[in-house]
Amino acid sequence: MHSSTLRTAPIHLTRTLQHPSFTTARSLRPCIVAKWLQSRRLTTASPRTQEVIPLRKHLKDEAKRKKAEVKRDGNVLSTKQTSDSRLDKWELTVGIEIHAELNTACKLFSSAPAEVSVGDDGGSANSRVAAFDAALPGTQPQFQIATLLPALRAAIALECEVQRKSGWDRKHYFHWDQPNGYQITQYYRPFAKDGSLTLGAFDGVPAEDLNGAESITIGIKQIQMEQDTAKTMNVGSSTYHVDLNRAGMPLIEVITLPHIHSPQTAAAVVRKIQAVLKGVDACVTGMELGGLRADVNVSVRQRGTSGTGSSYSGVSGLGQRTEIKNLSSFKAVEDAIVAERDRQISVLEAGGVIEGETRGWTLGATETTRLRGKEGEVDYRYMPDADLPPLVIGSDLVKHLKTTMPMLPDAVEQDLEEWHGLSRKDAKTLNEQDNGDRVEFFERTASFLLAEVGTFKSEVSTGKERRKTGKLVGNWVLHELGGLLATHQRSWDDVRVTADELKDILVCLHKNQITARAAKQILAELVQRQPAPKGPYWPSMDTRPSVEQLIDAGNLRLRPLSEHEYEKLAKQIMDASPEMVKAVREKGQKGKVMWFVGQMVRQGEEGTVEPEKAKVVIERLMDG
Amino acid sequence: MFRMQCFHVLARSSTKSHRWFSSRPIDAEALLSKRTWSVRSLLPSTDTTPDSPQVSSEQLHHLLRLSALPPPKDPSEEARMLRTLSSQLHFVREIQAVDTTGVSPLRTLRDETTEGEQRNEIGLAELKDALCGEDAVGKHHKRVRRRRDQDGQKTAAETWHVLGSAEKLIGKYFVVEGGK
Repeated sequence: MHSSTLRTAPIHLTRTLQHPSFTTARSLRPCIVAKWLQSRRLTTASPRTQEVIPLRKHLKDEAKRKKAEVKRDGNVLSTKQTSDSRLDKWELTVGIEIHAELNTACKLFSSAPAEVSVGDDGGSANSRVAAFDAALPGTQPQFQIATLLPALRAAIALECEVQRKSGWDRKHYFHWDQPNGYQITQYYRPFAKDGSLTLGAFDGVPAEDLNGAESITIGIKQIQMEQDTAKTMNVGSSTYHVDLNRAGMPLIEVITLPHIHSPQTAAAVVRKIQAVLKGVDACVTGMELGGLRADVNVSVRQRGTSGTGSSYSGVSGLGQRTEIKNLSSFKAVEDAIVAERDRQISVLEAGGVIEGETRGWTLGATETTRLRGKEGEVDYRYMPDADLPPLVIGSDLVKHLKTTMPMLPDAVEQDLEEWHGLSRKDAKTLNEQDNGDRVEFFERTASFLLAEVGTFKSEVSTGKERRKTGKLVGNWVLHELGGLLATHQRSWDDVRVTADELKDILVCLHKNQITARAAKQILAELVQRQPAPKGPYWPSMDTRPSVEQLIDAGNLRLRPLSEHEYEKLAKQIMDASPEMVKAVREKGQKGKVMWFVGQMVRQGEEGTVEPEKAKVVIERLMDG
Repeated sequence: MFRMQCFHVLARSSTKSHRWFSSRPIDAEALLSKRTWSVRSLLPSTDTTPDSPQVSSEQLHHLLRLSALPPPKDPSEEARMLRTLSSQLHFVREIQAVDTTGVSPLRTLRDETTEGEQRNEIGLAELKDALCGEDAVGKHHKRVRRRRDQDGQKTAAETWHVLGSAEKLIGKYFVVEGGK
């Protein structure tokens, strides 16, 4: 490979390519690898000759491989047993503080823009800084009222009580990222208090935490608005570059009560809060992009005791807590809590005491590191900000926002599950994609499809029909379209297939005019074609063919075979591979029947063999 | 004397029907000649030994670190700082001795009347522009989305030279030497 033509491959591919025995140890998805190699002209085999392994089969193979590995290493089982016994004795309590960037046009106390505008120099450092953000002497803060909109939506979505009057306070500490020497926050009187968040098993809460209930409720102590700090980058040994673009950006801090009792629940809470905030357009940058950060407070106590008697905001009988700061991914939250819990249990079982300190976590570490002890505790000298009047929020605004609130993710997923018949897991996956655009596409296609093929005989049958079509559409939008987008490495903005086109394909499929395999082919074809040009119609331009045209062009319309033709084809294949026949007949490996079905579909003419009928024929021939 | 003239001027220009000062003339000079109070009462007298708790050296150093102030150069400067601090604390204790039951602390200088609060209230009318800056997205799955890349004119915030007064720059960044 010439280094000049070698562009960086996607990370997961470079790892598999560097592994010496990658062809034997892992099952690849040759479609991606082949296409990548092909695009760089590094292989002579064309992609068409290689098999396309579906994603789910690939995942199943990976899971099987992992299980086999675990069986080999017996140690894994024994360590799991000891940790379980420790957890029988010790109970974990976790509280979470989440800082999320609000989705606003301006900063919190100045009119500097919050985002980079297109075609502007706003992308460079120190270009979106107002005089107050740079803390020029004599500058005053000016509360930007538009920042209240996403903040109030976040408070309402988390079921908090919005306080009519709240205040602004200064939190003093010196650091390069704090130009004013203090951060303006809401320490004494936050703008929202006493909310709650409900989670169920489908959110990732383990069964021990649910204790037989359907869901658990985590209390939210308060939500407050505050400023973000500037960005500092360590360059060289002790030099730092400071960029004030982020200084003064609006954040909300969501503080939960210590109602969380396992690391998985903690990660689920962070994930859920991010989903809720995204769903109401309050905070749209996720944890992966640095728009959401979590600090966790961890303590342990022996089950049945009241720890060291510490309490936090009404929850009493807890052990001494330590704080882990700046966790920037869901996995980090879970791993850090596990490490800290284990450390605290080890210290307490050895007879020591836990100190109330601040700890840090780095990815890939096995234990948290101490950042600051109690003696280094900073005295923030909180004081009301004298430059700002109190924040007075009108009840008419709160009422308006409550009535015009978009559907929360829970409600959307419940609707997809009960009304459209998707599984909860599929509903969740669908809702997480593309800011809800994928759900919109799904609902559009489902309503079109139902309008065309629905028979509406009675209310009962309508419900069943609707759920059946819903499930079909769900599979196609989530798995087929999703798979095709992943193969071509495109985002949803460039999907090119319209809801009408997908509806046409599924109508033909529903009416048995084409097989599923042919339908997938048509979809793949449509995904790759350029979208129809908008504007004046140019007859000479290559317009986008309709689904019907594609079916006719590819000769894909189902020409059903007779029973005799099925038997002939089946016998042909059975004669060609006697070992497989033996496996099914003598060894009783019924699963191999599907291999025969696959061979029949592949060897038969396109658009003729129906897998269901083929399976029946093969089974009959095997027995007879 | 100046104050007396001011009162007369205001009285003449007042068009209100009622007068807001007494009809008897005030002898301002006599009033102001007697001393009724001095700020010295809030400072400790130099001869009495203070019976209040003293500020320790560690506390002084802690306070100086919190305020990012340089530590004292020698013991005599430290003693001076401690004396000043202790007299300041005496002043603060005198202030704290005032009875403030039922008085809510002053946070900012502002209009605390109900009309003032009403004027300060942020309601639907005030956020009308922000609500207009959003789109209702989706027909089946309705959501809100804030419109981005609004064509806003460059505000004063963006047109000043941010890096102009920095002593040291590397590219477009401020530079901080973090070493001890």
